Amino acid sequence: MSGSALMSGAPSTGRYANLGTGASLIPFDIGHDDYVALSDPDSAFWALVRKDKLADTLTDSALMSNYQAKAKDFARELHALRFELKPSAVYVNPTERCNLNCTYCYIPEGMRRGGQHMDADRLVEALGRLRSYFSTVLPDGRKPRVIFHGAEPLMNRAALFAAIDAFRDDYVFGVQTNATLLDDEAIGFLADRQVSIGLSLDGPLAETTDATRLTFGGKSVHDKVLRAMEALRGYSAWSVIATCTEKNLDQLVPLVELFHAREVPTCMLNAVRCTLPGARTVRPDDAALARAFIAAVERTHALYRETGRKMVVANFANILLAILAPTARRLMCDISPCGGGRAFFALAPDGGLFPCSEFIGLDAFRGGNLFTDRIEDVLESEAFRKVTGRNVDRIDPCKGCAIRHFCGSPCPAEAHEMNGGMDRVGAFCGFYEEQTRYAFRLIADGKANDFLWDGWDAEEGGVESSFDFVLP
Amino acid sequence: MPSTDIKQEFAQNAVPAAASGASVASRPAIIATRKRCEADGVGLSHYVLMDRREKR
Repeated sequence: MSGSALMSGAPSTGRYANLGTGASLIPFDIGHDDYVALSDPDSAFWALVRKDKLADTLTDSALMSNYQAKAKDFARELHALRFELKPSAVYVNPTERCNLNCTYCYIPEGMRRGGQHMDADRLVEALGRLRSYFSTVLPDGRKPRVIFHGAEPLMNRAALFAAIDAFRDDYVFGVQTNATLLDDEAIGFLADRQVSIGLSLDGPLAETTDATRLTFGGKSVHDKVLRAMEALRGYSAWSVIATCTEKNLDQLVPLVELFHAREVPTCMLNAVRCTLPGARTVRPDDAALARAFIAAVERTHALYRETGRKMVVANFANILLAILAPTARRLMCDISPCGGGRAFFALAPDGGLFPCSEFIGLDAFRGGNLFTDRIEDVLESEAFRKVTGRNVDRIDPCKGCAIRHFCGSPCPAEAHEMNGGMDRVGAFCGFYEEQTRYAFRLIADGKANDFLWDGWDAEEGGVESSFDFVLP
Repeated sequence: MPSTDIKQEFAQNAVPAAASGASVASRPAIIATRKRCEADGVGLSHYVLMDRREKR
């Protein structure tokens, strides 16, 4: 561990902020009329301080003494989250093939066009091996998660469904699909087994979706996705991902209106991952992305206020969670090290193990093979360590950034492939700055819960308060 | 590169005290909260399930 919060034995009283063993509290602007933020990055502690009270707060204040009493606990909590997790999920690609040729896919085109399937027996064997591994690292009663991913997992539907039925009591299952093969029979099968289903759609109109998501033959899939969304209406565990590119920024507001009208419970508005060169051709500018993204998130809030029905924008909710309750975050991209290779890993159809799906097209990140290697050894392989060893505390300019543990400088695949190495900043630094500042503004105005799912902090869900300081 | 300063563009998203019906002095001087739970997030940008279904 590092940081002033954990130092002891130094000849310092620890009484003064930013001196000796005193708390590091970095002030930063959140764009709010009345408040600025303070953050101790080493523990992800934060406070919002009225601007006319900043000097008092940074001197001998009650906040300082209350935080000093908790600083070590918070730093330990963050350290455990960053370095001590064991894998509890695997992203399984049951096929390399896909029927779409999306501009920004992270799976190389050759694989998607003519790659291999994992046959049913092999997939069942794989899940059996994974079950044995998870039984050694997860506490009794906690099921690991298997998320079928791609490429397009429903291209290998028979094997997929056989595996789900064979292990329905052993895993919590999810499927991420482009929805073109998600017919009523498939939805019925998956819904009966409470499999969570994720779809992809990039625009409210075909012309926008078609700008990045077409078949290899150039055909639109927009209407097929809408049909699948209609069939899923009322199901509790589904979501839609929109990939934000320069092609759809001006359509994000009508897109979330469409999602809300179709009763999508959860969506993600993800900045395009720029791992492979094709994705970089549609990379949006950070400021433009932030502007469009925040407008869309604001629109979801207005719709919630108008209708009483909430649609969570999961990737933004995760930024809020990173601030409000670091251990409650659901996405493990926006933390450093990211979740790749430590909270989860990915399985390719040939048995190859990678830290994350994002690396499946990059052979240098193949850590071993599920059918020939021990998973414990793969997790310690050089290929995995390149990812799990990427630490935002050692990256310029992140290491001096007050919000580095609300952001994590994602993603290692992009940093490595686009920016030149694991020690480089992530792809959308400016975008993360604006998301985080916006999140703090919502907290200042008492609106944050409107952007999180109901009951997220319920005691019966195992969430408890560890700091609650509001000075009138 | 990072740190594009677009503060002005986003200042409009701030809610002025007057608009929220509160004077600056009536708003809390300090807000600082934190919650905790068992860490079990496994989502990534290609998939997410936003829930915590059961106490573990």
